[in-house]
Amino acid sequence: MSFRKIDIDAYDEDVLLEGELCEPDPRDPTQVLSDAKQKQAAVRSTLARGDVPGALGIALDSIPYGPNVEEAKNLTLQTVVSILNSTKSSEIISVVKALSQDAQDTLMKYLYKGMGMPGWGDVSGSVLLGWHEKLTEVAGTGCIVRVMTDRRTV
Amino acid sequence: MSNTLRPYLSAVKSTLTAALTLENFSSQVVERHNKPEVEVRGSKEVLLNPLTISRNENERVLIEPSVNSIRMSIKIKQADEIERILCHKFTRFLMQRAESFVVLRRKPVLGYDISFLITNVHSETMLKHKVVDFIIQFMEEVDREISEMKLSLNARARTVAESYLTAFNS
Repeated sequence: MSFRKIDIDAYDEDVLLEGELCEPDPRDPTQVLSDAKQKQAAVRSTLARGDVPGALGIALDSIPYGPNVEEAKNLTLQTVVSILNSTKSSEIISVVKALSQDAQDTLMKYLYKGMGMPGWGDVSGSVLLGWHEKLTEVAGTGCIVRVMTDRRTV
Repeated sequence: MSNTLRPYLSAVKSTLTAALTLENFSSQVVERHNKPEVEVRGSKEVLLNPLTISRNENERVLIEPSVNSIRMSIKIKQADEIERILCHKFTRFLMQRAESFVVLRRKPVLGYDISFLITNVHSETMLKHKVVDFIIQFMEEVDREISEMKLSLNARARTVAESYLTAFNS
């Protein structure tokens, strides 16, 4: 092992660690998962009544983020995608306008996450792109910048 | 423009516009150095979340933003073997002449066909919307270019085969 290749900055005492960039989720991983399951059921019943903004509001509230909660993250993505797929394209604008700014940012995070794994589950590129276009129209490019800079990745 | 291409390009355009907020940023490790942070990846705090925009499994764009540079990689649609070869030759041709394109990267990121590296110098000396338009136009034309090359290749192969086989016909 060549000593010149050792990254000595990694051993510095005030080195920046991954965990210091953002506050971890205060909830326990198992509780996060049970929350996600509960929300999925709630979203299903709300969707059955045809209330898309309500369902999206439930799904985008207190989302799982940070490490150790992969299962809950995937479950939430599934829930969000199922809402997106069942919305008519003419309704998207009014649904997006009804969301709060935080919910819009969170929705944008899920759109990018969904596009990052095409062919996974029932994620379809064209649906997500349609939503992305409408959401950018309503929330502006600032929404995308907030997704890029927010360390609480979903 | 086809119906599915337009939302794809508009998503890329808005994401690029959002990502192109760059500033001059000196290296935190070496004094009096100034490097694109997205390439050296020296520190986690200056790198932002990478974003993927995909139309389907075979066509996607990866945008990796950082404080003073962004890297944008494109995966071009390759339906069959001919398109794969044409795409490889075409991107290779462009990347060998990367200096003339200013923002082009000499090597693509793993898993993608062609990459662009835009630093704060580029966004200061050039107009931001023109840079975005250049990349969008490139994406629009690269598909057309490759399918045109494929057609002319097939036409040429047919003519060659016909004229070769007429020798055995008489």
